Amino acid sequence: MGRPFRAEKAGIRIDLDVAERELLGHLFDQVAELLDPGDGDGDRGPVDPLAAALGLGPAELSDLARDGGAPGQAPLPPQDPALARLLPQAHRDDTDAATEFRRLTEYGLRTRKRDSLQLAGAALRRADAPVLTGEEAQALVKGLTDVRLVIGERLGLRSDGDADRLQDLVLRDDGDGPDPWAGLAAVYDLLTWWQEHLVAALRPPAGRSWRPGR
Amino acid sequence: MGVSVAPVELEQPEQQERTRSDVPWVTIVWNDPVNLMSYVTFVFQTYFGYPRQRAEKLMLDVHHKGRVVVSTGTREEMERDTEAMHEYGLWATFRKES
Repeated sequence: MGRPFRAEKAGIRIDLDVAERELLGHLFDQVAELLDPGDGDGDRGPVDPLAAALGLGPAELSDLARDGGAPGQAPLPPQDPALARLLPQAHRDDTDAATEFRRLTEYGLRTRKRDSLQLAGAALRRADAPVLTGEEAQALVKGLTDVRLVIGERLGLRSDGDADRLQDLVLRDDGDGPDPWAGLAAVYDLLTWWQEHLVAALRPPAGRSWRPGR
Repeated sequence: MGVSVAPVELEQPEQQERTRSDVPWVTIVWNDPVNLMSYVTFVFQTYFGYPRQRAEKLMLDVHHKGRVVVSTGTREEMERDTEAMHEYGLWATFRKES
């Protein structure tokens, strides 16, 4: 296999075939849907488009409607462990601080992650051999992370040791036909390989302080 | 481009503010089995603007010690950094420095 991503003057050139880009686009769609604040996990209620334009989700609105800080439904961590990994608790000891952080940031974070996945997905499907802009490449590398976090959670990766054992799962052949988990593990492996190459293509030069587009 | 008469020193305070050791809040990044070492280094370079050597040192601390303080500042700044780390898919928390 050749290099799937290459840094060029115009941007990052993708050298993946149509089926590979379609697979990636499909996974990005699924995670974007998982993150969508409109339905999502639990009963957060419908999204008011005007409130959404102002960056206010149902949690913020219910807080505004509460009239002066009476204890209402504080936003809880998502019940789906994969979604909870994408939107983790921001404070380990202080539940109130974590809840307040979630109330103020979760809606925006879900929206930005979803939009970023959609941007990368659209770029992947754009043409036969797309060249990504800097913004699209950043969206792609973050999107690969989010998809790998979701699949990693589904595969039960909780420690570095689990990650090492993944390779055994991919290679395991116990003669009982294909293992569905092995298929998912193989996809995870492929995504890891792609992300490693994309990071290398995006990698800032050594020894210098570096910020793209700032 | 005009000629600036402002002394260069005026540009310094912001940087000092961020790394001052008496500012009592920190952002912590925790180890996880999914994020690649190269990606974690890339995020530290991209978001914080750290030179590669410092970013790699922080990444190795996450990997070997399970967590590392990546930034220090006011509570608001640390909440912003934590949110940014979550946007990159890193597992970050903030807390008051003890």
